[in-house]
Amino acid sequence: MRRVVVTGLGLVTPLGTDVACTWDALVAGRSGLGLITRFDTSAYEHPIAAEVKDFDASAYVEPKLLRRIDLSSQFALAATQQAVADSGLDLASMPPRRVGVLLGTGMGSAHQIVEQQRILDEKGPRRVSPFMTSHMLPDTATGLVAMATGARGPNFAVTAACATGGATTGEAAEIIRRGDSDVMIAGGYEAPLQPIYYAGFAAMKALAVHEDPARAVRPFDLDRNGFILGEGGAVLILEELEHARARGARIYAEWRGAATSNDAYDMVGAAEDGHGVAQAMEDALERAGLDASELDYINAHGTGTALNDRVETRAIRDIFGEHADELMVSSTKSMHGHMMGAAGAVEAAIAVLTCYHGLVPPTINYETPDPDCDLDYVPNQARRADVRAAMSTSVGLGGHNSAIIFSRWED
Amino acid sequence: MDERRVVVTGIGILSAVGAGREATWAGLLAGQNGIVPTTHVDVSDLTSQVAGQVPEFDLAQYIDRKEARRMDRFTHLAVTAAGEALDQAGLDIAAEGDQIGCMIGSGIGGIGTLEQEFDVFFHKGPNRVSPLLVPMFIPDMAAGQTSIRFGLRGPNYNTVSACASGADALGTAYEVIRRGDAVAMVAGGSEACVTRMSIAAFANSRALSRNNDPETASRPFDVDRDGFVIGEGAGIMVLEDREHAEARGAEIYAEVLAYGQSADAFHVTAPAENGEGAARAMNLALKRAGIAASDVDYVNAHGTSTPLNDKFETMSLKTVFGEAAHSIPVSSSKSMIGHTLGAAGGIESAVTVLSIRDQKIHPTIHIVNQDPECDLDFVAEGPRDLEVRYAMSNSLGFGGHNASLIFGRYEG
Repeated sequence: MRRVVVTGLGLVTPLGTDVACTWDALVAGRSGLGLITRFDTSAYEHPIAAEVKDFDASAYVEPKLLRRIDLSSQFALAATQQAVADSGLDLASMPPRRVGVLLGTGMGSAHQIVEQQRILDEKGPRRVSPFMTSHMLPDTATGLVAMATGARGPNFAVTAACATGGATTGEAAEIIRRGDSDVMIAGGYEAPLQPIYYAGFAAMKALAVHEDPARAVRPFDLDRNGFILGEGGAVLILEELEHARARGARIYAEWRGAATSNDAYDMVGAAEDGHGVAQAMEDALERAGLDASELDYINAHGTGTALNDRVETRAIRDIFGEHADELMVSSTKSMHGHMMGAAGAVEAAIAVLTCYHGLVPPTINYETPDPDCDLDYVPNQARRADVRAAMSTSVGLGGHNSAIIFSRWED
Repeated sequence: MDERRVVVTGIGILSAVGAGREATWAGLLAGQNGIVPTTHVDVSDLTSQVAGQVPEFDLAQYIDRKEARRMDRFTHLAVTAAGEALDQAGLDIAAEGDQIGCMIGSGIGGIGTLEQEFDVFFHKGPNRVSPLLVPMFIPDMAAGQTSIRFGLRGPNYNTVSACASGADALGTAYEVIRRGDAVAMVAGGSEACVTRMSIAAFANSRALSRNNDPETASRPFDVDRDGFVIGEGAGIMVLEDREHAEARGAEIYAEVLAYGQSADAFHVTAPAENGEGAARAMNLALKRAGIAASDVDYVNAHGTSTPLNDKFETMSLKTVFGEAAHSIPVSSSKSMIGHTLGAAGGIESAVTVLSIRDQKIHPTIHIVNQDPECDLDFVAEGPRDLEVRYAMSNSLGFGGHNASLIFGRYEG
């Protein structure tokens, strides 16, 4: 059986434009949320988002291409370049067909679609960009990353709403395990901060409201009242174990197993009994060959909505039984917001780093316990801990769920 | 490790030649042209004014009226095609829903909903935007809503690889069953792209035919082809663990033998020179199926009717099949239903399975002057009875995505 390890990471998040800055902020419990600066928000009382700040795409993308691609693809390319460099892989010396790309996104090129729709509306169809077709599809970035890296192996995008990142990373690992590639560039990216999408989420009444932006997302807290949109990208370099060993690569963690499921219940809300996400957790544990008691940390979906956090807590109790009280469960969305299609990938990367550093980032803004949410949410302070195995869970619109498990690497 | 095998036990299709499996198949065999003057949207100011539109169908068969308003058309098409496939398969979903998953590829998801909401946003303001904009638009919703409607609780997501989306969804679903993560998967592709933005965008990238005569616009492999005709539709199959299907006495229409995929890593919209990437996907599929190129009896081509695709695809078929390429019948369903983008791989794989079921292949229509650079047997003269043991369906997408699926006759 081929084994899969993580040998490189790249992150562009509201907490920082690389892995080191993001990780420092996570363990310091800093918030990446603020008032929206990207567009006119006069129609809203509490216009809060988790924006990526000080991102210099030109460090990763050559100028001619940069002008043509969406912000979402820029995040994907930046995270990829970081992750490839971090892995120490010399892709040029590898057979190109043994390197694949699977990146997920919820919506794809959100900015360019809006811009072109405005052109269609105001100036007519003949003025729509000839590049629009390649940007209209959510697999734009997988193609761009293949071109940037020369990766000619398996290549497609995965979308599963907010469970995208987890589903993508798991499927990419399975491609290596079954022998169809040796290295996969896997992850997720999203740039949803456009007025129309913001208006759609605001109309759903799902966005958090708070006087202080930094305190808006309060997962598992009694006074939580919604999520906040975030943006960014995360890429994990997944590599077949013997391939990584042969080149003496630094191994962050081992991928152990993953699962996806569907509630088959409602297009927006999760099922109250949490059966869907529970099934994903249970299947992932089984595929990982781990007993529930061997898991030490869950990076929860923990959006900060009343329903999600209650349902997720219930699912964890169902699957982990008594061990649920021993588990550390944190929602890093309290700091980086809800990065939609990138969320599962960012949080998978955080689960990996947790195993690697033996350090668990907190759930910030946790002040008043909710009787329906009674787990150890690592409140407000990072914690040193021996993390043998960590799971990242994601739950999406459309009833999608994913769970992915990594374990500490010991050679 | 025991090697699980995967078979097809249900097929559902909605296309421009028929809103149902048998109607589509009969239409394709008869060489019926499904391309019509576009009526779904106002095309008076668009350069392309013909499309493959699915004829009116009974939405209420699988979706109640209230739910239907909460879904984009690509989801209507997907749920209806999935319903047809599931009715045929007869799975016991109540008992096994946890082990039945769903993967439906879509290139652009609910683009029609997005365009409508843009109209609201630009002209009436942000406060009037629908709370269902995001959940109706996101491209995973075909898989999501299909699961919700039928109770499919297993592995679930959407794969996007432009015009190879449906094929990659089927291929990934096949791998999900092979690795034991599900006993059955409802998989394929769906697209409802006959919208103003889709047409304008594809037209301006010079991918669409500028020929607005429905009788000649989509003409794969003809020397006068000048682009594809946009089409909508859905093609969804029930893939099932072979032992599971046999144990319950299900009717089996074909076996899924292999899935090969590759990336050109070359250009955003143009295929790699000589169809190198496509050839690589086909060779991978042949190798994984454990059959020789000469064993393939029929190829359902991507055959879009763009000058470059058809030329390079012909070259890639010659690379893979060598001299034998000239004796293998190759047909393009797109000559009749148009290019259904993310649905294409789903519909055309389903058509390939029907070719195996009935031992008949459909023609490529509209070839008047065959391009000398496309010098294969494109079944131009009409449908053909053929012994089909092994058949291949190819999908090649913008962004350099290539997927090849091989199906085999079920030998019991």
